[in-house]
Amino acid sequence: MTTTRSGLVTVTGFAASALMLAGCAGGPPPAPESDLSNDKVVIGLLNDQSGVYKDLSGPNSKVAIEMAIEDYLAEYGDQAVVTEDQIEIVMADTQNKPDVANTQAQQMYDRSNADVILDVPASSAALAVAEVANQKKKLHINISAATTELTGAACNPYTFHWAYNTQMLAKGAAGVVEDGGETWSLVYPDYAFGQDMVKSFTAAVEDAGGTVNEAIATPFPNDNFSTFITRAASTDPDVIGTMAAGGDLINFVKQFNQSGVRDQAQLAVGLMFITDIHSLGVDEFSGTTFTDAWYWNYDEQNREFADRFLDLTDTRPSFAHAANYSAAYQYLDAIQRAGTDDADAIIEELEGLKVDDVFLRNGEIRAGDHSVVHDSYVAKVKDAADVEEDWDYEEITATIPAEDAFPDVNPNCSM
Amino acid sequence: MSTDLETPLPTKFDVSDFDPRARRARSIRRLLLGTIALVAVLGLPWWVYPPIAVDIAAWALFAISVDLLLGFVGALSFGHAAFWGVSAYSAGLIAQNFGLPFPVAIVGGAIAAMIIAVPIGYLAVRRSGIYFAMVTLAFAQMIWFVANQWKDVTGGENGLQGVPKSFFGIELIETEAFYFYYVVVILIVAGAWLAWRIVNSPFGRVLVAIRDNSARTRALGYDVEKYKLIAFVLSAGIAGVAGGVFAISHGFVSLQELDWTTSGKVVLMTVLGGMGTLWGGPVGAAVIVLLEDRLATSGFDGIGIITGSIFILCVLLFRRGIWGTAKNLIDRARAGYAKRRS
Amino acid sequence: MDAFLQYTVQGLAAGGFYALAALGLAVIFGALGVVNFAHGSFYMLGAVASAVLLDVLGIQFWAALVIVPILMFIFGIIIELLLVQWLLKLDILYNFLLTFGLSLVLVDLVKRQYGVSGLPYELPAGLGGLLQIGSVEVPSYQLFVFLFALAVCLVVWFVLSKTRVGMIVRAATEEPERARALGINVSAWVTPVFGFGVALAGLAGVLAAPFRAITATMGTNFIIILFAIVVIGGLGSVLGAVVAGFLVGLVEAYGQGYAGTFSQVLIFVLMAVVIAVRPAGLFGRKEAV
Repeated sequence: MTTTRSGLVTVTGFAASALMLAGCAGGPPPAPESDLSNDKVVIGLLNDQSGVYKDLSGPNSKVAIEMAIEDYLAEYGDQAVVTEDQIEIVMADTQNKPDVANTQAQQMYDRSNADVILDVPASSAALAVAEVANQKKKLHINISAATTELTGAACNPYTFHWAYNTQMLAKGAAGVVEDGGETWSLVYPDYAFGQDMVKSFTAAVEDAGGTVNEAIATPFPNDNFSTFITRAASTDPDVIGTMAAGGDLINFVKQFNQSGVRDQAQLAVGLMFITDIHSLGVDEFSGTTFTDAWYWNYDEQNREFADRFLDLTDTRPSFAHAANYSAAYQYLDAIQRAGTDDADAIIEELEGLKVDDVFLRNGEIRAGDHSVVHDSYVAKVKDAADVEEDWDYEEITATIPAEDAFPDVNPNCSM
Repeated sequence: MSTDLETPLPTKFDVSDFDPRARRARSIRRLLLGTIALVAVLGLPWWVYPPIAVDIAAWALFAISVDLLLGFVGALSFGHAAFWGVSAYSAGLIAQNFGLPFPVAIVGGAIAAMIIAVPIGYLAVRRSGIYFAMVTLAFAQMIWFVANQWKDVTGGENGLQGVPKSFFGIELIETEAFYFYYVVVILIVAGAWLAWRIVNSPFGRVLVAIRDNSARTRALGYDVEKYKLIAFVLSAGIAGVAGGVFAISHGFVSLQELDWTTSGKVVLMTVLGGMGTLWGGPVGAAVIVLLEDRLATSGFDGIGIITGSIFILCVLLFRRGIWGTAKNLIDRARAGYAKRRS
Repeated sequence: MDAFLQYTVQGLAAGGFYALAALGLAVIFGALGVVNFAHGSFYMLGAVASAVLLDVLGIQFWAALVIVPILMFIFGIIIELLLVQWLLKLDILYNFLLTFGLSLVLVDLVKRQYGVSGLPYELPAGLGGLLQIGSVEVPSYQLFVFLFALAVCLVVWFVLSKTRVGMIVRAATEEPERARALGINVSAWVTPVFGFGVALAGLAGVLAAPFRAITATMGTNFIIILFAIVVIGGLGSVLGAVVAGFLVGLVEAYGQGYAGTFSQVLIFVLMAVVIAVRPAGLFGRKEAV
């Protein structure tokens, strides 16, 4: 991509002047003027590039962010307030360790002059980075962590939660109940994530008119679920819901399939990514229901994005890749409107923004708790015979409207 | 089983102890080493990113605490994360709930670590050698399970977030890692000094005697188990200081602090630096922390391949570790010099 | 009662993995005086090898049950000759540390090569489904794992106790000093015995492949449980490793059935009790270690 420098005037004035300019502008500004800290925009990508979340997001999220930059530059052409040379991506590996995430986030803000940090999987790491962002008064847009704490008790003005959370993951349960899965047994790992999930699931099932027979706690991590599956099946439920994730989920599903329970009860999974289906094979999961934040083969727009992504990475995008794209694009777009990368000005641009893009459908960046709400999906894993190509694993059985997926501003949040 | 113990340690009684000239040379050497150490300790946050400097300091003391057992009692603890982690959580909770200045919280954490060390140590010291390593590892894992499930206190896998760095309202220290370092380093140095005192006390001599021949020491009338237990608890306390510093510095505590890989990492540092040297641990800590920091942004995703390989090479070829090997080389060069002169 | 029987079968199946792997650990410890920290990684490699053989060469489960242990045997011999043997004369801690370093390398190598999300594996034909025993249904595969593991343990026991080769190895395993005194060349047996122990871990891995998540880190918690098992059974005792393996499997299953999330803590509580009452372990001799 070639960038014309001629149209660009870099104003090294006060942030206030740029703010005023953005505030007064009724239409697009006649000539792009910008006030960028360090004369550039630095996007930090901080995620797990060697641990369990590597496939979900990992290094390929950098490709997604690069795609967002490309699209931003193409969209605004020589009107872009940030030129190609002025955008930099810095990347670091959390090694899936929260203390590493914490230190790397500090370094990104302090030494690499990152204006925003994207992604950060694992809730302990995410909460730690959100705290750093708040202290340094720089932005953090979280993609891959699921905890509602980010938009709850631990919320802060500098942190946005873009893709999904534990409450939204439970919403798919309503769809299952409506399809006749009325009685449930839940099996959950007994740690914070599992406990949150089981609460959300119980509420979602009961709201939809179903009943939860029992909720069975399991140790975490655990590689032997047979006993728990036997117990869960003993009340003869229509649906068995598991809140296990990652490697434990694969253990669970393998043992579930061997237990013979598969013939009597349907399986619903709390947290599952398309990468899980891909790694274990569609056979093991077929018929399983879960909530997805985004699916690459949902419609033409998604598919187009997924094709571009495939060309660059040889793999289809997960929802986390699409969300990283979306967050990076909306961030740059906010800079375009604000004319500055000043964090407070960007927050003002983003709060309350209603937006549609490849990831966010009926999206709104909620001002109250910085939760980014958007349509979500009830997905059912296809039978192997129906799979037409690699990664074609999901059938979207229902759309959960944004306001149902992310119903209320989190009452525990005060900015 | 361990009849063929290869001692990587210098013998405790040196002929030079009785030679006044050698004594003077030794005190000069000590002064020199002390100066280098002082410069390293004070200069660290100037050379590396200050939060990383604090990490190095914490891991350094942690490694010293492991070496105290490994090098001087001959007991490899593969569960020291239990004490580092228990102290981290305790210090975090104290700082959060009582708003006390962080040095108080850290000392409180260390005391908690020592309390938890008593029952574990009581069972572990009944077995020596490899049993000791496996037993400590298993108990540390048990504490991990408890912490993971005890969500109301520990925050589970969300971690204990928002641990304050209160220090009498002095904002510079509370917010700037650079100044924070100079406060916590006092605690770290105090912990290291304590370890040094233990090793160079009559108590420490008994420990070394137990390491070299526990049956003989027992025959001499020493209660071997009691000595080992006391050493274990003291070591846990020192590890606790380090863990507390780490928790306060990061402002949160996560389950990673109790994970067995944390125990493995500190053993790696200790062996890499040189076991039985006490000061090797800090060198190993600096190397590993800086290496991990560098690798985090390198795009290379196999950190275990590098640290594991270094470790294997170290165990195969440089069992004295960095510090021991360097010391050995210097000693040999000096001996050669002295020989030429005479 | 039905539930109790089901838990029992599940516990015995889980115990089968533990018993096989712990047996390997005990044999290696006995003959070489090495506590093999990388044993969990060898278990993982066994499972990964099965998955890769299936994926690349189409080699099925039944063949993998033979091929993978042979491959692991060779791999074990290479590791012994390349690394472990140089430290055999030194304190036992050095090889413990060496194999710890080795496990770090192996885990990350597999992670880089085969990803972090796990590998697929199919249940072998004929072992799917349920088996009716009296009034309870149990998954056939679990029953198979238990019986197979038990059979292997018995065969190993038979070889060790009734054949001449076994006598020599056992003498080298349980009483190395006396074996040397009797003029048995212990060191000649050291390398193959190490390979044999690694093969047993690999075999446990093959059995785990259809049943558990095949990931690079599947052995990291496994090894800690294995350590607890050999401490309970008594280091160096072959019988102790097997009995404690099944015992821990049962404790885990009953714990899961009746005590829920505390089942994993129960294993360590059991270990603590054993250390307090019988420091040498259930079948350990006092003089060992």
